[in-house]
Amino acid sequence: TLTGGDSSSTTTGSASPVPNSYESLEGGGYSDLAAPPAGVPAKQAPPFGYNYPTVHPAYQQNPAPKPDPSPSHGGYNPPGYQPYSQPFPSLSELSSALGGLGGVSEQEAETLRPVNLLQERNILPPKRAPPPEPNLSNDLRKVNCSPDTFRCTLTNIPQTQALLNKARLPLGLLLHPFRDLTQLPVITSNTIVRCRSCRTYINPFVSFLDQRRWKCNLCYRVNDVPDEFMYNPVTRSYGEPHKRPEVQNSTVEFIASSDYMLRPPQPAVYLFLLDVSHNAVESGYLNVFCQSLLDNLEKLPGDTRTHIGFVTFDSTVHFYNLQEGLSQPQMLVVSDIDDVFIPTHDSLLVNLKESKELVKDLLNALPGMFTHTRETQSALGPALQAAYKLMSPTGGRVSVFQTQLPTLGAGHLQSREDPNLRSSTKNVLHLGPATDFYKKLALDCSGQQIGVDLFLLSSQYSDLASLACVSKYSAGSVFYYPSFHHVHNPAQTQKFQKDLQRYLTRKIGFEAVMRIRCTKGLSIHTFHGNFFVRSTDLLSLANVNPDSGFAVQMSIEESLADTSLACFQAALLYTSSKGKRRIRVHTLCLPVVSQLSEVFAGADIQAISCLLANMAIDRSISSSLSDARDALVNAVVDCLTAYRANGSNIQPSGLIAPAALRLFPLYVLALLKQKALRTGTSTRLDERVFSMCELKSQPLQQIMRMVHPDLYRIDNMTEQAALHLNDSVIPQPPLLQLTAEKLTREGAFLLDCGSVMYLWVGKGCNETFIRDVLGFQNYASLPSNMTEIPELQTTYSERTRAFISWLLESRTFLPAFHVVKDDASTKTSFFQHLVEDRTESAFSYYEFLLHIQQQMSK
Amino acid sequence: MVLLTMIVRVADSLPLAASMQEDEQSGRDLQRYQSQAKQLCRKLNEQSPARCTLEAGAMAFHYVIEKGVCYLALCEAGFPKKLAFAYLEDLEGEFSEQYGAKVPSVSRPYSFIEFDTYIQKTKKSYIDSRARRNLGHVNSELHDVQRIMVANIEEVLQRGEALSALDSKASNLSSLSKKYRSDAKYLNTRSTYAKVAIGAVIFITLIVYVRFWWL
Repeated sequence: TLTGGDSSSTTTGSASPVPNSYESLEGGGYSDLAAPPAGVPAKQAPPFGYNYPTVHPAYQQNPAPKPDPSPSHGGYNPPGYQPYSQPFPSLSELSSALGGLGGVSEQEAETLRPVNLLQERNILPPKRAPPPEPNLSNDLRKVNCSPDTFRCTLTNIPQTQALLNKARLPLGLLLHPFRDLTQLPVITSNTIVRCRSCRTYINPFVSFLDQRRWKCNLCYRVNDVPDEFMYNPVTRSYGEPHKRPEVQNSTVEFIASSDYMLRPPQPAVYLFLLDVSHNAVESGYLNVFCQSLLDNLEKLPGDTRTHIGFVTFDSTVHFYNLQEGLSQPQMLVVSDIDDVFIPTHDSLLVNLKESKELVKDLLNALPGMFTHTRETQSALGPALQAAYKLMSPTGGRVSVFQTQLPTLGAGHLQSREDPNLRSSTKNVLHLGPATDFYKKLALDCSGQQIGVDLFLLSSQYSDLASLACVSKYSAGSVFYYPSFHHVHNPAQTQKFQKDLQRYLTRKIGFEAVMRIRCTKGLSIHTFHGNFFVRSTDLLSLANVNPDSGFAVQMSIEESLADTSLACFQAALLYTSSKGKRRIRVHTLCLPVVSQLSEVFAGADIQAISCLLANMAIDRSISSSLSDARDALVNAVVDCLTAYRANGSNIQPSGLIAPAALRLFPLYVLALLKQKALRTGTSTRLDERVFSMCELKSQPLQQIMRMVHPDLYRIDNMTEQAALHLNDSVIPQPPLLQLTAEKLTREGAFLLDCGSVMYLWVGKGCNETFIRDVLGFQNYASLPSNMTEIPELQTTYSERTRAFISWLLESRTFLPAFHVVKDDASTKTSFFQHLVEDRTESAFSYYEFLLHIQQQMSK
Repeated sequence: MVLLTMIVRVADSLPLAASMQEDEQSGRDLQRYQSQAKQLCRKLNEQSPARCTLEAGAMAFHYVIEKGVCYLALCEAGFPKKLAFAYLEDLEGEFSEQYGAKVPSVSRPYSFIEFDTYIQKTKKSYIDSRARRNLGHVNSELHDVQRIMVANIEEVLQRGEALSALDSKASNLSSLSKKYRSDAKYLNTRSTYAKVAIGAVIFITLIVYVRFWWL
């Protein structure tokens, strides 16, 4: 086992024996020496352009989509939806087993079935539809990357940019690369096999020309198979390179050799930056935080090297000496906030294992230390500078807890929000940062491998648009708890507690970089998410967490006519909290098509909506909110116009969409009614900005629940069609459309918005439900601020709780829970999610469709 | 000041443990020394002297090789050599006790990175001028420190390069001589062919001459 150290040194592909930048660590793009593969002709892609295409003669040769016999269905389970009733995504093994049964052509015909949106009332499938299956052979489909990790807006990749332009749909990827996985093949070997020219990691979609050579599926270069790769450690056999785990799984993790390290792997370092001004003490968050950290101190990810430190701040910055051997923590105050310095170097960040008792003492003492403070100022900027200085030698994670607008020192901010303009229909101002202080600091942090997470707990305007920059560019995350108060707002307090529990114990990767490669001809031009783009295509992630998602936009630079498959590979190089350098690689494979109808058939409407949301947020900051809203509406109008122009034999009346895109107008309408993008409805600026941050950095599932929540009636759930899992019965009520029309006074309805759940109880709700599930005698005795469902020993209650916990199964952050009475004042927050209904300032779904139709006929 | 500490398996220069640089001011050029340290580790083998000091400008590398493991420290040139070696011996004692048996079997780099905690602590006690009580036992243990070999890092790193240059020259020479040999062979055969051809022509002419003129 001692040999092979030298052979591994050839894998970096960099000229110098020791890499000295992250660029060379993960391996650059195409090397200059590599000649272009012979198979690709030098054909130029047709010019870009957004002209509406006229009907191409070729399209008329397509079999006409079969006309729908009954355009309007009643009931929840219209016959047209039958092919969709596949198992739930959480039963992935089951669905993949069944996936091969349905005929592919049948599936395509179904997704292309024209739907007249104006006539079809019940457009939602009874269950959240699974993402479309790419039209691949069974072998490829079996090994393809999970859609939860890697999704493309078009599961049929158009051959040329011209074809993509004709479809008027955005092309992009949605990634959730560091998602918690239950099964992950981990590979330890001396040589990590990669393409010599484009540095792609070997994956299930490469082809083996013979025993000794493989052809890269991204750049088509032929590479040698190294000797070590001939041996399969799983089956312990020799000479079967195609049976290696790297070639059998599209998601794998490699243990990296020292070539992938610039320095020894860093230890896990956590610094907590706590606001202790009067405002903060008043909100009572400190108590919740300290208690939560005390409870989870043992569960912080790390090893014996883990370091921890605390800094508090009001108008001055306070440090805590926790050196092992002291009898109690020592507080050091730095009042010179214009030029903040570190009072002592080696005892502020201490080894958690060795100083555990002191850390506990401090956490117990902290909430009481500032109870009588009169300090109202906040010197967040200087505190952040101090944190940067403290952390730069190692890197790590800084968690900032802030409760008000920073008022002192560098990075101080002024209130920019005019409350009178909250519901203006005109332009919304101040969506961008007021100062570049936070961005600059974040970039410095990113350079030193420091990630900054921001928890904002404030009742007043705190200029999140400026503050969020500190997390955005350092690959951190943003949490916001508007009007947080430990007594007056119990729901928010509970949410904060649950979030902290997850935040403190979740996996973390340090000093990470991510690169996404795609088949030659495709190119990535825009990235969305929290990171810093270090070189054209290398994302620098000081910290990486399992709850953040990324999106990228792509264009087709060269025709893909010579290939039938397009592949995408995301590689994430990170240091685990145990000091192991690892590379997680995901590879996705999709078919390439030449017909416009096939492009429409493969459209993944959820992915498209998420990508459009990301693009709209960028547009609203760079241009204006109304511009972004117009662009969203135009996206639907253009796409449906393109579809109409394609299918010549469809009746001109009505608003026709292919079945694959029938939810497009609904999702766009829902997007327009999001806090981030809505106008006319009173929205606090911070809440709007937070909603934008969420849309930009959450994974797809979470965004979809937020944009278009799930509504179920749960007072009359039966065991019909229920799931039976591990002896428990989980009822499966159908999804309801988001309109007040579907609510009845006699029912109780559950609305699942991802980060918050509402249980709306009608006035005439049956008393058995109220008694057996909520534990109160009747509707009148229900309190107006219930935040959980009691655990009662009735079948009714058990069934309801089984259903709710089944909904929460795969979620990492547990939602806040509100029981909403029909007559309570809180019901507006429930009704704002019913996106199909009309509000004073926004269209109803039907009006929106008419609006689109009108725009199309222009 | 001890700026960098590395523990490396000599056989394949696999890093086993290391201590991160502490000082933010020197962070920039430390990168260079770090890559020098890595290159140095690749050059080491069983024949290398077990104890050595390598001067590198304002800095000096000190290393100790013991039981197939190299303990390397980067110090400022002014840092007492005695202290540096005492520090490395100290690390060696603790490391081989804790992990010595596992060293030959590991394949992942920095498998014993948790040893960092001990390195940091030890380092602190050696560089702290107030804790000079260490000095006493340092003096007694390392009286032979004067005999430790001193070399220049550039020389050591370039020695390898010179060797490889020599190697490439030699291989050039050998390929040239091969070429010469094959060329010579080719020439030989050609001249042989020419001789045979001339002989044949004369012979045929002779036969023809005899056939037509004599008969």
